[in-house]
Amino acid sequence: MKFRRDWWKVLAVILMVYVIIAGIKIPLNPGVLSNSNSQAYQGKPFATSVDCYNSFLRQAEDLNVYLWLPSDQLIKADSIVVLNDTRMEAYFHAIPTDFTIDSKNGLMVSLLLDNELEGHYFYRNAVNIKASEGSEIQLGEYASLDVIRTKKRFALPFQHILYETSRNTFFHVAIWMAMFALLICSCWNSVMYLIKKEISFDAKSSSLTNVALVFGIAGLLTGSMWAKYTWGAFWTDDIKLNMTAVSLLIYLAYWVLRASVSDPDARARLSSVFNLFAFVCLMVLVMVIPRLTDSLHPGNGGNPAFSSYDMDNVMRMVFYPAIIAYFLIGYWMAELNFRYLILKEKLQV
Amino acid sequence: MINRIFHIVYKEFKMEFRERYGFLSSILYLVAITFVVFKVFGSLEGPTKVALFWVIFLFTCINIIGTSFSSQSIRRKIQYYQLYDPVELLMAKLLFNFIKVLIAGTILILLQALFSGESLVNPKLFYKSFVLASFGLTVIMCLISAISSYSDNQNALVSILSLPLVIPILLLSMRVSLISERMFLDSAVGKYLSMIFGIDLLLFSLSLIFIPIIWKS
Repeated sequence: MKFRRDWWKVLAVILMVYVIIAGIKIPLNPGVLSNSNSQAYQGKPFATSVDCYNSFLRQAEDLNVYLWLPSDQLIKADSIVVLNDTRMEAYFHAIPTDFTIDSKNGLMVSLLLDNELEGHYFYRNAVNIKASEGSEIQLGEYASLDVIRTKKRFALPFQHILYETSRNTFFHVAIWMAMFALLICSCWNSVMYLIKKEISFDAKSSSLTNVALVFGIAGLLTGSMWAKYTWGAFWTDDIKLNMTAVSLLIYLAYWVLRASVSDPDARARLSSVFNLFAFVCLMVLVMVIPRLTDSLHPGNGGNPAFSSYDMDNVMRMVFYPAIIAYFLIGYWMAELNFRYLILKEKLQV
Repeated sequence: MINRIFHIVYKEFKMEFRERYGFLSSILYLVAITFVVFKVFGSLEGPTKVALFWVIFLFTCINIIGTSFSSQSIRRKIQYYQLYDPVELLMAKLLFNFIKVLIAGTILILLQALFSGESLVNPKLFYKSFVLASFGLTVIMCLISAISSYSDNQNALVSILSLPLVIPILLLSMRVSLISERMFLDSAVGKYLSMIFGIDLLLFSLSLIFIPIIWKS
């Protein structure tokens, strides 16, 4: 192995190891899992127990719990009992009555926890406050958002519903992106074959497509595991899933085409053309149509894309290397396949 | 160029007329299967009617267009190869097959109206999606039939290769036709139609680029 030629293989292995270790080992930020009581009334006392995740409540000395109103005012809990590191109870003597709320639906407020060790974390729309008739007027003492503390930790963002599965971003999403990159390389080689008519370009293109198909199946499997934990089923009727299944069929048809034409020149020509055709169809299927209709996937059907809200810098530090690592590994696999194809051809001649 | 295209179309028509059993057998297939389906379901209505329309239409298309390139004997292929430019040949074949598919589809619509006893709710919209979709199907299947004419088992390959490729067009036009039958409320009909049109244009330009590459051997 010459290092000057094969340095990217070393890089691929290092990045892959980094991605696997970092993607699995970096902890999640603390967050609120649930609260036992989600209904409060103005002028009445309110008590709830709060379940947290990855938190160290016992070690915190200055622990505060707030109800966070939409007007950015905070109602501080009057007493707190910490049961263990992830469980505590908060008690409010009386919810103030001097803020207006919708008499029918009430007001959704968030539960905010703050301590000097871990900074703040909150549960959006955790408690619904309703007006109650005949209650005495209680003037509230509000704290402003300035009192909460922020602590930077080297950790992944805590997402409701996703929880630990958000690590799958480094596998599922990154594998798809690497697959697209490999397919673009494959199309480039197909075009080069059609221009220069050298059979080696076709061998390269077909081995890249083979690896991309393996990546596609891997992406589908990881995605289906993710769907089981977040959407509730291994296969949902989501448009992007169906379109992906269709595009896998297209690429399986590519295999059939290669297998069914015996003349090597005709096979190279036809499969190059079909490869370009299939790539255009794939783009339309996976990138265009799901964006125009309803889909559960982020970035489709009016859903915000993942990166704009949920990616933070720690995630990016693993996510971008993951894409590069998968791409390099895939390229390496394709190169081995390519060399095998060339040797096979030489032996037959 | 247009004259030459029409010349090829005329020649194709003459050839087709001499061997008219090919097209007529496809029509017979269509009539028979619609009759069987009607007998099985008792009545045709609702989404079943639309779904069956597209499924039967799809397989009739494969029947009609799938053999358009590969049915030729070697001698006729060589003659075509010497006489015509591949782009002109493709355009002529597209035009001719498009007309054949439109005729078959119209017969299917009429048959379904006859069996179900009710006409289309919004024929204009239904026809729009039908014409756009059949043009897309024609383009894809002509190209695939040209590709698979080099293979050893052409007929199987045409359906294997073209079925996944036509799914996007089919899904979109199915949705538009469901909207036209008032089974589905959606205000974005124009968007879907323009999407089908866009895919058609894309496929058409791609096939014009690729056919000279495929056609030489």
